[in-house]
Amino acid sequence: MPKVIKKILPHLVLLVYVFVILFPFVFVVFSSLKESNDQIVNAPFGFPVQMAFDNYADAWSQAKISKYFFNSAYLAVGSAVSSILIAAATAYALARMRIVKVSKAIYQFILLGMLIPGNVLFIAQYILIQKLGLLDTHWALYLPYTAGALPFSVLLIVAFMKAIPSEMEEAAIVDGLGVVRSFILIIVPLTMPALVTVFIINLLGNWNEYLLANFFISKDALKTLPTGMVGFRDAFQTSYPLVFTGVVISVAPIIVIYAFLQRTIIEGLTAGSVKG
Amino acid sequence: MNKTLRNPYVYLLFVLPTLGLYGLFFVYPVLQSVFYGLTNWDGLTPAKYTGLDNFVKAFNDEDFWISVKNNMYFILFSLFVQVPLIILFSLLISGVKRLQGFYKTTVFLPSILSTSIIGILWGFMYHPSIGLFNNFLGWFGLEPIYWLSDTKWAMLSILVTNAWQWMGFYIVLVLAAILAIPKEINEAAEIDGATGFQRAYRITTPLIMPVISVVVMLSIAGAMRVVDIVLVMTNGGPAGATEVMASYMVNKALRYGQYGYGTALSIMIFVIALLLTAIYQIVFARRQERIEY
Repeated sequence: MPKVIKKILPHLVLLVYVFVILFPFVFVVFSSLKESNDQIVNAPFGFPVQMAFDNYADAWSQAKISKYFFNSAYLAVGSAVSSILIAAATAYALARMRIVKVSKAIYQFILLGMLIPGNVLFIAQYILIQKLGLLDTHWALYLPYTAGALPFSVLLIVAFMKAIPSEMEEAAIVDGLGVVRSFILIIVPLTMPALVTVFIINLLGNWNEYLLANFFISKDALKTLPTGMVGFRDAFQTSYPLVFTGVVISVAPIIVIYAFLQRTIIEGLTAGSVKG
Repeated sequence: MNKTLRNPYVYLLFVLPTLGLYGLFFVYPVLQSVFYGLTNWDGLTPAKYTGLDNFVKAFNDEDFWISVKNNMYFILFSLFVQVPLIILFSLLISGVKRLQGFYKTTVFLPSILSTSIIGILWGFMYHPSIGLFNNFLGWFGLEPIYWLSDTKWAMLSILVTNAWQWMGFYIVLVLAAILAIPKEINEAAEIDGATGFQRAYRITTPLIMPVISVVVMLSIAGAMRVVDIVLVMTNGGPAGATEVMASYMVNKALRYGQYGYGTALSIMIFVIALLLTAIYQIVFARRQERIEY
């Protein structure tokens, strides 16, 4: 008998934890399908009686969630793509090209950027964006997102590129391959796993970013999901089902992507934090 | 071949975009911060050099130190509440065979979500009338608590939400370290008669100290830059009870237009972060010897 308990007890404790994690999600999904505040207030955890799928259509159009969604998607993907391209090229120059002394100096210089904790430069960056006249444009997010991801991305990719043995590249270059094509045709394919990791980290970071998005953008049409949803919550305080619906819509795509790519995402994010 | 890999034009082409953006968004802002930190710039009139006045003001600014104290709550909460729970759950997950992947995937889920969405979500959990917690209290006939607007409870409410968001991330880190420990060590101990608890306490836990130390460092770094969860859930209120350094700094600069003072505060935050890193190095990193299996 004690052996059975020994086997079951860990599962019981863990299932309680899993319940704590999942409960808020179930709560929002149920609430998003209820028709009115009353239904939520009377039975907050009850199963929705009439499925009010209209909420989804309403939230999508009324809250401009489609707009926020699109803004978030193209900013997050655009910045992540830009930073990965720029970082990979720089990492190649630093790790593989033979201008060693300059590379070492540049590497150290970029390393310094990693020492500055996030947010410390926020006000100076705000002043900079203001001076450039970019406040309330998507450039105000696109540029800092792209730039902000660079130090970390360059350092991580350099580490991977340094680990690639040089024979293959040397042979190709002796056969007449140019440096740019050697980068694109040989080194990039070999570093693909690292590039994917860094890309995912940056993509998620951009998609979830709140502080810059909140203060650099005030036009409703330009807002991203995180700030748009907070504005939506504050504007629709009287209609809980709509707000819950908005939360579901903005969380769902992430959860779907996570369901398919969980291994890559988990490994990428944790590896990034330990090595970076 | 060396010539190909020494092509200076390609080198410049590859390096300049990074250096340009890095210079514009890191180096220049650092210099600007130091410059504005020594002035009384208000964003409108020309900046006037005021020496170290801003820093003297910051040292005497009680509200700022309250926000520093609130950041420290984040650190203390992770050290004394989250870390023990993280170790416990990682040990439990590493010990089960069935459902291990499911547990790992589920507990990790909150850490990929946007903090602002989590803030909204938990705002409803703490809601005075429809929230989970007050309904729970209601079952026992207890009075509802205004979790986010009561100065006694607001900070704790945010700390719990923050823990809910990030614990899974650290659990996965620690779990990976536990699963990397060679099986022989535990098997040998089992043959020698060590109970499950003894093995967890005397073998596994000491062996994962390096990764625990990483968790502590990441928690400190996270606690230093925490801001969005506060902005979304309470905006620093009630009455400044949940204000953190970053939100205080942002408010001073952008809401009250005290750009000079705000940048001085950002330098203070940087210095505090450096001090904490030094303390961390002395307390944790030095004890961390390399473990060879």
